[in-house]
Amino acid sequence: MDFAFTEEQQFFKKIITDTVDRMVVPKAREIDEKDEFPWELWKDFTKLGYLGLRYPEEIGGMNADPVTAMIFYEQIARGSVGFAQSVIMNILMGTYFVYRFGSEEIKKRCLYPAMKGEKVTTMCFTEDQSGSDLSATRTTAVKDGNEWVINGTKMWITNGPVADFATVLATTDLSLGAKGLNFFLVEKGTPGFAPGQIIDKLGCRGTITGELVFDNVRIPEENLMGAELNKGVEYLGEILDEVRVMTAAMAMGIAQAAYNEGLEYARKRIAFGKTIGNYQLIRAKFADMATEMEASRLLIYSAAWKIKEKLPSRLEAAMAKMFATETCLKVVDEVTRIWGANGFANEYNPQRHFRDARFLLYGGGTHEILKDFMGRILIGKS
Amino acid sequence: MDKVLVFVETKGDEPRKASMEVLCEAARLAESGRFSMEAVCLGAVSDVLKNRLLSCTHKLVRLTDPELAAYSPEGYAHAVAGHARQIGAGMIMAGATGVGRDFLPRTAVILETGIVSDVTAANWFDDPITFVRPMFGGKVFAEVACPASPVVVTVRPNSFAMDMPEGINGEYVEVAVGLQAGSIHTRLLRVDDTRKDAVDITEADLIVAGGRGLKAAENFKVIEDLAVVIGATVGATRSVVDAKWRDQADQIGKSGKTVSPKLYIGAGISGAIHHIMGMDSSKVIVAVNRDPNAIIFNYANYGIVGDLFEVLPAMTEEFKRHKERV
Amino acid sequence: MNILVLIKQVPDPEALVEIAASGKDLNIEPKFVINLFDEFALEEALRIREKHGGNVKAISLGGTKAIEALRTAIAMGADEAMLIEDESFAGSDGYNTALALSRAVQKETFDIILCGRQAIDADRGEVPQMVAQFLGLPHVGVVVKLDVDDGKAVVESVLEGTKEVIEVTLPAIFTAQKGLNEPRVPLITGVMKAMKVQIPKVPVEDLGLTKEMGGPDGSKTRIERYLPRKKRPAVQFIEGEPRQAAAEIVRILADVERVI
Repeated sequence: MDFAFTEEQQFFKKIITDTVDRMVVPKAREIDEKDEFPWELWKDFTKLGYLGLRYPEEIGGMNADPVTAMIFYEQIARGSVGFAQSVIMNILMGTYFVYRFGSEEIKKRCLYPAMKGEKVTTMCFTEDQSGSDLSATRTTAVKDGNEWVINGTKMWITNGPVADFATVLATTDLSLGAKGLNFFLVEKGTPGFAPGQIIDKLGCRGTITGELVFDNVRIPEENLMGAELNKGVEYLGEILDEVRVMTAAMAMGIAQAAYNEGLEYARKRIAFGKTIGNYQLIRAKFADMATEMEASRLLIYSAAWKIKEKLPSRLEAAMAKMFATETCLKVVDEVTRIWGANGFANEYNPQRHFRDARFLLYGGGTHEILKDFMGRILIGKS
Repeated sequence: MDKVLVFVETKGDEPRKASMEVLCEAARLAESGRFSMEAVCLGAVSDVLKNRLLSCTHKLVRLTDPELAAYSPEGYAHAVAGHARQIGAGMIMAGATGVGRDFLPRTAVILETGIVSDVTAANWFDDPITFVRPMFGGKVFAEVACPASPVVVTVRPNSFAMDMPEGINGEYVEVAVGLQAGSIHTRLLRVDDTRKDAVDITEADLIVAGGRGLKAAENFKVIEDLAVVIGATVGATRSVVDAKWRDQADQIGKSGKTVSPKLYIGAGISGAIHHIMGMDSSKVIVAVNRDPNAIIFNYANYGIVGDLFEVLPAMTEEFKRHKERV
Repeated sequence: MNILVLIKQVPDPEALVEIAASGKDLNIEPKFVINLFDEFALEEALRIREKHGGNVKAISLGGTKAIEALRTAIAMGADEAMLIEDESFAGSDGYNTALALSRAVQKETFDIILCGRQAIDADRGEVPQMVAQFLGLPHVGVVVKLDVDDGKAVVESVLEGTKEVIEVTLPAIFTAQKGLNEPRVPLITGVMKAMKVQIPKVPVEDLGLTKEMGGPDGSKTRIERYLPRKKRPAVQFIEGEPRQAAAEIVRILADVERVI
């Protein structure tokens, strides 16, 4: 049994940590306050080439294994969750189906520019009445000659309003439920494809999240992102575990950023003549936070390792997502307590972490859904 | 008895202050009988300068050579090493000035010995003698011994007291060094004396900062006046920056800059944790505030309870007077 | 233009540094970075190469973990790297460090050696000058501008605060000061190259040295013990009328604290 990162992974962690410290951390506050897509940082950061993290070197990627990818997700989220969310969308969910099923023409038009940050992308499945319950998807795709016609409205779409192309989940047959779902590529400029309402969010600000409207959007046949029709859910399964563990890694990024703030405060704030880090109740908080963060990371990196080794990981990924996110919520809460009333002040960072942490509750499945899902696997159908 | 050779750096008619401190320390050591002393200098020596130095050292040697007209690390290193070898010096000591720290490591290599750089104190009567020097930016100090001989030491300015010895009237000698022609590979083309921009606050050695107690933007003049006299950079608290009395670039604190100068003087600053987190690693903190219970006093070395509009101008005047004295 | 960059891996400036109970060792939080000033040196080397062509090689003296600093150099764009691998020499004094580095450098062909002006752990600022002397080369210290041209360099040095413009014949050694440049953030292509590269490790024996020479008994200077920084004492209030208080605080700052 070997729990250590390889020398390469350790080195990667160090480089990405430094890069995030230099480029992202100084901008985090501004990103949160402005709540606008940080174009300047996007350009500077994506120039470095990280958006091709998971894809083969032959097409300009880094071919990073899932463990290495988690290191990246954690660090970028430590810098700014709002920015991380946009970056990771281009790295993972927004490009995966194009990479997997797109024609060379489509890849040239969408994937390769997205890997360089020249195009912003998104993946959309959530609707007003469907999220974790994919079978309730109401967006339809109807074949008309050699074209697909898409109709529907998607909600909570990360990068949606600024995306150059989107991978859209739609059903070819409402009566089939989850078995009628497929992914379709829709590019900006296609008639009938337009952004709708932008959501004003509590946290994760700087990522533009909103509605996408598809009104008789006609796309060519080859824009079906799948080798076979109606296998969308199966294809989604190929990255679902990684998406969940990624969410867990982002949670650890936020937790670490908050924890560091707590540490600094505990070492400097004086109460009753001593820095507050001298008091047992404050020390206990750090012991608890560090323990649970360590436990979260063990879950995250062991699940990532299983994905890498192509071992069953559905349960472990769900566990990691749930546990790490809950730990993150505890940590951001404790840190605002350590900061006393200052934890409530918008002037300081703890409140931002406190708000950001809640965003991760929903992505990759709410914990209510995840617990039900895990319980079903553990108990079995009876 | 070991001989201490003091390298004296000069500028016009003046010895460098750091050199004088080392010279005074060496004179004290000579008086104690622990060492004998000799000073060496390399530039032009006027009568004024000569007389001043001879009252502090038993012997002053000026090393002469056409190649030593301007400073060069190679030339100075060889000249001082050669002389040290000639007189059998057991220690070479100099101020840890830019020049001292630049060429003396080379001297050490020529003499196949070690150097202890930037020391802040010495335990002369320990065996072996140890020197105290800061590491990790002053987070810790090390006591360093030098088993090799002679030991080369550079001393941080302001480490030794400059108490002039009495009753010394040393002899003056000039010694030709005879450096090989062409042995110097650097050439000073010009000195660019254009005024330096104000030191960025994160790098400033001295900072005078003001807070809400200043009451208005124009009142920062009392802060600026003091800063000009001591060559400090002006800092400000967040509330002052928010009120647009000062530029964002001056802001010290959690959402501003983190500073750790040698001296931080804060006036009209209550000591909000925001500000404290940006300056509490300053070496010496002086706080001026009307309120004797202001939190900043918890983090300060020295506190003056009073009206900053009286105290600061008085400090400015005192610093002016102090500068004239030195 | 062949450029060597001497880099040192140092503890992160934020790392906790505590004195061991024995007083003879330091317990340092294991977080490491390339020495800040060495990053300026490396960046300058890369810029010179971009302008004049040539090769940049990073050399470090340290334990196995220092490989990480060399990988970072490769990630930033250095063509090659080499580790003189020896824990005892890595913890040695300036003289022995410079001796080992100069022996390694002697085996290379180069026009320029760049180093940081000082390492932020030991804060000695001795090694580059000593390497220069071991090699019999000129050096220019505390450099904020460096123009290379036809066997010589014109350099701006801020040794004493004012800017001095100095001409030096190559080969020569330069020590980088903050302000020389803004070091680049590595591209992923560089990071990938750095992750795969095999960095040669050279034992000190290959440089004609023995391990013992790097130990405490083989060093010219020796750290006897470590002392803590003085804790800030409780605040001392200066009493009296403003003028008296001002005179007193100026006296204290000048004569007691000696910060003015």
